[in-house]
Amino acid sequence: MTATADRDLDAELEPQLEPQLEPETADLGIDIDDSDEVVVIIGSGAGGGTVAYELATRGIRCVVLEAGPYLIADDYENDEWAAFNQMAWLDLRTTSGSWRVAKDFPNLPTWIVKAVGGSTTHWSGATPRFMAHEFAARSTYGQIDGANLLDWPIGLDDLAPYYDKAEIAIGSTHRHGRAPQPASNNYFVFANGAERAGYRYYATGPYGTNAEPYDGRPASIQDGFNFQGDKHRSKWSTRVREIPRAVASGTCDLRPNSQAVRITHDAAGKVNGVEYLDASGGLHRQSARVVCLAGNSIESPRLLLMSASSLYPDGLANSSGQVGCNYMRHTTGSAYATFERPVRMYRGETMAGIIADEAKHDTSRGFAGGYYMETLALGPAFLASFIEPGEWGRPFTEKMEAYARTAGMWIVGEDMPQATNRVTLNDDVKDALGLPVPDVHFDDHPNDKSMRAHGYEAADAIYGAVDAVSVHHTPPYPSTHNLGTCRMSASADDGVVDRWGRAHDVSNLFVSDGSVMTTGGAANPTLTIVALAIRQAEYIAAELAAGRL
Amino acid sequence: MRLLRVAYPHPGFPDAPYERVAKLLAEAEAAVEGEEDVISQGLDDLDAAAGGDFDVLDDESATAAVAAITDSAFFARVHATFVVTFYDDHEVWDLLGYEGPSYDRGGYLHRGFDDLDWLPRPRITEYDGPPRPELIAGRDAR
Repeated sequence: MTATADRDLDAELEPQLEPQLEPETADLGIDIDDSDEVVVIIGSGAGGGTVAYELATRGIRCVVLEAGPYLIADDYENDEWAAFNQMAWLDLRTTSGSWRVAKDFPNLPTWIVKAVGGSTTHWSGATPRFMAHEFAARSTYGQIDGANLLDWPIGLDDLAPYYDKAEIAIGSTHRHGRAPQPASNNYFVFANGAERAGYRYYATGPYGTNAEPYDGRPASIQDGFNFQGDKHRSKWSTRVREIPRAVASGTCDLRPNSQAVRITHDAAGKVNGVEYLDASGGLHRQSARVVCLAGNSIESPRLLLMSASSLYPDGLANSSGQVGCNYMRHTTGSAYATFERPVRMYRGETMAGIIADEAKHDTSRGFAGGYYMETLALGPAFLASFIEPGEWGRPFTEKMEAYARTAGMWIVGEDMPQATNRVTLNDDVKDALGLPVPDVHFDDHPNDKSMRAHGYEAADAIYGAVDAVSVHHTPPYPSTHNLGTCRMSASADDGVVDRWGRAHDVSNLFVSDGSVMTTGGAANPTLTIVALAIRQAEYIAAELAAGRL
Repeated sequence: MRLLRVAYPHPGFPDAPYERVAKLLAEAEAAVEGEEDVISQGLDDLDAAAGGDFDVLDDESATAAVAAITDSAFFARVHATFVVTFYDDHEVWDLLGYEGPSYDRGGYLHRGFDDLDWLPRPRITEYDGPPRPELIAGRDAR
């Protein structure tokens, strides 16, 4: 690369780092024998990592099977494509349906992480809670054609104490005494535009990255690259908090590079083990007293479907036929606005900016449910691929040349669950392990399209209010919020798991990730996944102690 | 090279980063089984459509010639390689004004993460007026 004069001057300045953290090690905890009937947790992300921490620190022995490697802070790459190739879930998948992702990125329906910490490695940090009415979407929104709406079997009152615990674990800014993030350049544009457009409920959070030192981790140095793992460890993830504490407890055995391929059961139908492949393809079977499945909303239903047996011919926990159905990805879109003067959106925290005024159910806007707007920045490498996939020529290069004068935001709102949006096994296509790949089918619901259009108009108003030269509407990226494929329900007829995330059909099988979400709400899902996992782990611990599991 | 400059015109940019993409395309061509000549054949087709030499077409004609092939496997390969490679090239980052990684230099905390000077400094705390109606406990969900 060419070093510019500016860079040489910068290099003479002393870096102002905080005191050095202890170097990290990839500790794996104790060795638990394969024949030992323990709690087996599949996945180490927001759900699995939290359940592991909550159980292990209560003295409950558990094995965590993580499909990906154990990457630590020193491994993370501050380079978009290098990091993507290092940690993204790139195993072959197929897509179908009318969503644009199926055309532009047919084998990349999602943008999630395959590594210890799961997608908390990659998450950007926004931590809004669900609103009360979002737990009762069917009752609140009524019957909507084509939507498979259902009320959750729990409400905000059930989850509120666990939201508190989750916010304290994560260290959410603006909550429980945590200081707000400072304003980044991208937020200057976003917040001033919001104010002038008449919005009031904007702030730099709540946000899951330290603005001040907290919980043994330092404050952000505004180095960006939130999606690439955070080398500074200011950002919460289960990789920096729950996993190391779980393995340090002396009751947890973490096994990276271990891909679960089947959950086995006994003659009575209770699960009793998990078969998995190690890095060299060797097949193992870990005995289980309880299984907690937290593989994200694509892999979790895939594993249940791959675990079909003579007793469960349609897949494990699938008597309702709902496993894999009701796949949701949130209604998203991005807006990138160019200005006459510099913005430099890439400097600082990526998503420390949120507008909540449109997160409401107000059908006068022409759709049910609501959405948030959040600051977002990509580097040139990702922006070129995602800003308008397939575009070439001067309209494309003009967008790229405006890079340093560009501000960005993300629209994220509730999408309608539809029975036909679903994850199935594609028996015609096998992955590198010889297993059927998941096919992800998705069609936007008309409600999703109306909401997205409204969000784009709101972005136009916000950026227009601060004199944008242009605003470009970018279509949804490969999905980062993957929800709903093992939905929670009061009745065993219309859902997969109960109010605790326990499979209706199998008393010692739990689902611990975002696939349990009955409906998606507008909020970024990580906080809710963590709150549900803390609550579930408390229940499992009590049931184990009472001898009922 | 001419194709890349026509399809992805950055008038002020030097040839070097374009040349690096062209080199990569040529090298990668041989590596994909069954597609050993997709690039060279695509370039030959462009020349043929141009009446012999694509390189001598004026900008307008050349752009029209590219527009005619955007659905081809050849252009799909060129496009996918270009957007991923060119905008990940550090010389291009400099030309776009992108500074890249900052971690080893203490982040952007003291290097301008909040130096925007053409708008007032905005509020960062939450709104201190009435709370959003949706968040008032006990309110009818409707």
